[in-house]
Amino acid sequence: MSSEEKNPHAGENTGVVALPANTAWPVVLAFGATLCFASLVMNPGVGIAGIVLVLVALVGWVRQIFPHEHHEEVLVVAHTTIATTARTEVGRIELSEIQRSYLPIESYPITSGIKGGIAGGIAMILPAVLFGWLTQHSIWYAVNLLGGAGAAYWTNPTTAYIAAFHWSGLLIAVVIHAVICLLVGLLYGALLPMWPRHPILLGGILAPVLWTGVLHSVLWFINPAFANRIAWGWFAASQLFFGIVAGLVVARTGRIQTRQPLPFALRMGIEAKELMSTEQEDEK
Amino acid sequence: MSNLQSDLPMPIQGTLESEKARRSRSTALLEWLQGWLVTVDHKRLGILYILYSIFFLLVAGAEAIFIRIQLAIPNNHFLTAEVYNRFFTMHGTTMVFLVGMPILFGFANYVVPLQIGARDMAFPRLNALSFWLTAFGGMLLYFSFLGGGLYGAGNAPDVGWFAYAPLTARTFSPGNATDYWALALIVSGFGTLGTAVNIIATIFSMRCRGMTLMRMPLFTWLYLVVSGLTLVTITPLTAAQFMLLIDRYLGGHFFDTQAGGSALVWVHFFWIFGHPEVYVLVLPAFAIANEIIPVFSRKAIFGYPAMVAASVGIMFVSLGVWAHHMFTVGMTSVTNAFFVLSTMLVGIPTGIKIFNWIATIWGGRVRFQTPMLFCLGFLYQFLIAGLTGIMLSVAPMDWQLHNSYFVIAHFHYVLVGAIVFCIFAGLYYWYPKATGRMMSERLGKWHFWLFVIGFHITFDTMHFLGILGMPRSIYTYQPDRGWNTLNLIVSVGGFIQGIAVLIFAYNFIVSYFKGDVAGDDPWDAWTLEWTTSSPPPVYNFAEEPEVRSRRPLWDLKHPYDTDWEYEG
Repeated sequence: MSSEEKNPHAGENTGVVALPANTAWPVVLAFGATLCFASLVMNPGVGIAGIVLVLVALVGWVRQIFPHEHHEEVLVVAHTTIATTARTEVGRIELSEIQRSYLPIESYPITSGIKGGIAGGIAMILPAVLFGWLTQHSIWYAVNLLGGAGAAYWTNPTTAYIAAFHWSGLLIAVVIHAVICLLVGLLYGALLPMWPRHPILLGGILAPVLWTGVLHSVLWFINPAFANRIAWGWFAASQLFFGIVAGLVVARTGRIQTRQPLPFALRMGIEAKELMSTEQEDEK
Repeated sequence: MSNLQSDLPMPIQGTLESEKARRSRSTALLEWLQGWLVTVDHKRLGILYILYSIFFLLVAGAEAIFIRIQLAIPNNHFLTAEVYNRFFTMHGTTMVFLVGMPILFGFANYVVPLQIGARDMAFPRLNALSFWLTAFGGMLLYFSFLGGGLYGAGNAPDVGWFAYAPLTARTFSPGNATDYWALALIVSGFGTLGTAVNIIATIFSMRCRGMTLMRMPLFTWLYLVVSGLTLVTITPLTAAQFMLLIDRYLGGHFFDTQAGGSALVWVHFFWIFGHPEVYVLVLPAFAIANEIIPVFSRKAIFGYPAMVAASVGIMFVSLGVWAHHMFTVGMTSVTNAFFVLSTMLVGIPTGIKIFNWIATIWGGRVRFQTPMLFCLGFLYQFLIAGLTGIMLSVAPMDWQLHNSYFVIAHFHYVLVGAIVFCIFAGLYYWYPKATGRMMSERLGKWHFWLFVIGFHITFDTMHFLGILGMPRSIYTYQPDRGWNTLNLIVSVGGFIQGIAVLIFAYNFIVSYFKGDVAGDDPWDAWTLEWTTSSPPPVYNFAEEPEVRSRRPLWDLKHPYDTDWEYEG
């Protein structure tokens, strides 16, 4: 069965419709203008022809629209459109309750991830400095490796140069390290609801492994000098150290209730008195 | 004498009749041609735009095939270096200015007034002027093959589609080829501006009763955004072209570094136009997908307000990303960082769109007809194009890959994988409305599958060539570079795409005469253009329509389950 209804947009009207009359002046004007431009590389005769065409076309165009716009009357031919469809049945997509049951009702706050990032970032300094001390007898080696990424004038530095203290290297390294730790912490916090029961496993093992893998594949593009000198074992170890400390900080933070069980209006922050009171009654 | 006359053999009389018929046929043909030449009807102008673009698509496609023959094997001499330079310059310029923009404005011309229930565009004569300026601009560009060289000898432009200074200075580009390039783009640019103004005026002032901005079809919404963006972006290009001509002929020094000018000024001007231009081209492709995906998924578009907001967001963000084409010119670290971040920002509204299209398809009763197949190809390829775009937005990554075939592969993923795929989808979708005939579905599927296979063979492989260090714009290479096999594969893919396009051209022409009769609403669609006959009468609608929702035809077809009850 198909539903049918006569379309009011195109009834069986017969009559006359006034439409703008066809005119040659636009094409003449366009051709004249093109000739004017082309004459710059052809010859002045082409330009003169173009100017004549432009002037004639402009006069013709003006006469088309003044004092009254030229119209032509078109007879409306009766045409009845019937809006039909063979697909009369309208289905609705039902959302299963099960799909929503996996969302946690308790999780760690995103700020705990940021705190974890800060703590991990501070703790991570230890293995990094240790790496520099043991391999190059300088605590500045790791600092300068990182800081050199932002110092464009450090072209092909020697090992001794990297091992020495440089204010620019220290400042840039601090900025890079702080920004990355904060962003990684933020990302960690945002990911926590996906695996709320195992923050240390997520932050301490999975994330460092993934981060090391990502950097391993792209560091040659981002900072070839750093990539050339990096000790990946030490790097992975410092990442694990960061992750475990960050995970511990997160785990010590109390969990909070997520807003998943709340009605959509409340989650959107709409102050709905009735919804709030219903919520309070439910809690009682 | 009378006897003689009566005895005249019959064939003479027949000959006179056939002569008369022949004359009346030739008169009718001339009248028909004149009708197209002087038309101000938006539908005819839309068709002219589209036919003009398809013609140049075949021309630019042929140029691409020549390029690929040249690069198929190392040390090839099929084309000389000079001819190769002309071909890749003309290929790029043609595809962007004579195919991409005109065909998308052709869709706008044809569909927008119908979708908003108007009888024509706001300025029909300006519409005709805009088309003819675009058309003559294209002809002027190709006239350079005859008149662009030194001392009257033919020579097409050979400075690349972005024509970097100082290559365009008279010292390095003698003759008139570069002038033809600049003048042709100035002329067609004026046409483009006229169309943009017309579309904006039409959408704001000629919507039918009940069609508020938030009830407009997304197709129309996106053309409103594109037209605004066009007004902003074409202007710097036109200004730069004038500056170039002043440099070349009036002793100006805008781009002459040795005389106090700066070659970088051109680069800035060009990309302030050039990058938003990508969005001028891709937003109409989105517009086409916005119409086709819901109809063929049998679901309303998911997240209409978010789609509108994302489109407007893309427009604004796209105006602030141009210098990601310039990471290698030696900008400051802060500038690099700004353009890295602003470029990455485009990924957010674009991602919203991709999620919404997927959500529209999800749970729908999908019909895999040709327009939908092309849209599905677009979705996948545009996602990849976006991801490689994010890769290139990282300045250090760009330093490695800039001007390599990786970049060529990336932007062809956008221009072909997204835009051309959507253009084909749109052509299959609205062809029945414009001609009253259906295109062959069987040939359409052959076209799709060959094109998608050829596309991936060509452009997937090109990414690897780029990573292996093959720079763009080289006319040949040494056999010891490790690029031989990959280049041959790329060329084979190009030929497969060429065959697919020829199938499309055949289908396009033959279906006009022999295609199945389409009827008014062959796709069971929901917007106003499907309420008129196919092809529509010259006045579009006998009466001004009135709408109450975003899908007026849905409301008519389902009077007991109308959209306006939900849209409020």
